[in-house]
Amino acid sequence: MDAAGLDCLGRFAVGSGPPVRIVLFVLLALIPPTFIGWKVWQGYRPPAVVPAANPRPSGAEADRALQALFAGDLAGAKVKDKVGLYDEKGLFDYIDGAAPIFIERHFRKLAAAEMVSAEGSDLVCDVYDMADPANSQSIFDKEKSAAAKPVADFPDAISGPMSFVFRSSRYYVKLTAFDGKAEAALPGLAKALKGKMK
Amino acid sequence: MTRDPGSDGLVPEARLRASGQAAPVAPSGSADMDRRGALRVGLTTAMAVGSVALGFGLRARGTHTKVRTLPSIKDHRADKPSGATDMAIVRGPDPAGNVRRALEALGGMGRFVRRGERVVIKPNIGWNRLPEQAANSNPEVVAEVVRQVVAAGASKVWLTDFSVNTPEQCFVRSGIEKAAKQAGATVIRPDAGAFREVNVSGKLLRTGEVLVPFVDADRVINVPVVKQHGLSGATMALKNWYGVLGGQRVKLHQNIHVSIVDLAAMMKPTLTILDATRILLANGPTGGSLADVKQMDTVAAGTDEVALDAFGATLLGLQPADLGFIVEGMKAGLGTLQWRNLKTVELGG
Repeated sequence: MDAAGLDCLGRFAVGSGPPVRIVLFVLLALIPPTFIGWKVWQGYRPPAVVPAANPRPSGAEADRALQALFAGDLAGAKVKDKVGLYDEKGLFDYIDGAAPIFIERHFRKLAAAEMVSAEGSDLVCDVYDMADPANSQSIFDKEKSAAAKPVADFPDAISGPMSFVFRSSRYYVKLTAFDGKAEAALPGLAKALKGKMK
Repeated sequence: MTRDPGSDGLVPEARLRASGQAAPVAPSGSADMDRRGALRVGLTTAMAVGSVALGFGLRARGTHTKVRTLPSIKDHRADKPSGATDMAIVRGPDPAGNVRRALEALGGMGRFVRRGERVVIKPNIGWNRLPEQAANSNPEVVAEVVRQVVAAGASKVWLTDFSVNTPEQCFVRSGIEKAAKQAGATVIRPDAGAFREVNVSGKLLRTGEVLVPFVDADRVINVPVVKQHGLSGATMALKNWYGVLGGQRVKLHQNIHVSIVDLAAMMKPTLTILDATRILLANGPTGGSLADVKQMDTVAAGTDEVALDAFGATLLGLQPADLGFIVEGMKAGLGTLQWRNLKTVELGG
């Protein structure tokens, strides 16, 4: 027995409190069942398998570049109110069940704005930053409607009534019109946007 | 205690076993050690079992507390008169006329709505899109449903949806707000205070923030549009209940087929009128290009949402059995995908 009252096995002498080894054993033994109990209480779900993403541009810099697409001259079209930015989570609040096909192609961010054409008609401009040209090509190919027509002198672009869709660099762009005047303004807006996508 | 092996190399117990004799009872010190070991194993097992049980207990207590204190959505279904038609499919160039003929085939709106009842109508008004773009329910179909409910003597006719895009855009651009108001509905654009927490008691969704009219109404009428959907394959009657729920949508999409059925099982509508005037064949649910839209001039009505979705799937060129939410809905007892086995009336243009 040493001066602290412990014997050679680390036990306290009789009458001096619980043996240290038992206390340690109980504490260590409690860890796994506590963890299991906590997981059960939380309702354990195995983690979802997330595909590895390509390296993405730094957030703030890419956001600035995305928003800058809406600034300056856009064939006379102007943002009506503001440009909304949507990340992966927010994308569901904008396009609902269409979001996963973007996310699985490493979508980075969406900039969306309601705009008014030079002639005063409403249209919607959605620019998806897909982080990489290969990803924007992939989503363009995925969404390309068989009924839509390719656009002359505008590679990777299709148009349908009330719609103009194209990809350039890491961006995938969907323009939607709500009347004939806005529809006529879509090609000019698309060219102006593409000119900024260097 | 030490036990030296003898000249044969065996410890005493082994030597006794080798000679066929029983080993003597262990000295009291060794028995203490065995008892202590057994005690440790027993204690550890008891703690593990106890902790798991405590976890289940706390989890269940949390759920049951909510079940006790939150309201549930009432069952809105009406009694079916004997021999009544289950489903009506009408084709014709006039959307409002298609609704009228479908309701007549089912026995009239009076079969579903009684005088003085409060009715909520749930179209799809999720998108900042024109009627021609077929992302929302057709305004002429919706307006005719409102007129029929008003004519049946409803004391209140509410019409609402929790839009994906902003309500200001969707309710106006879709043409539904104007048409429904003119037909006599009170149109509610949801704001932050428009929801009440209720029990969903589903497999995935236990509780949810639901638009208040769906909690208060006596009758609920579902007026979905038929369209392709990137994640679930299609969106029609069962999926349309996503629009009664507030909060972030991302959580609903983690197991979409089960979530769809959870909400449909919660709602149990009185009547469903499936709008297939124009259907969106690709790039749903948002759409935009008229190249993806097909004019079908069809309305189907009935009380079996699974059957109506199964019929709608055929319009999209899909096999109903390939759509997870239809299969899950049938398993949950919400209806049958064998819609041809129901008492169905089909009327041409």
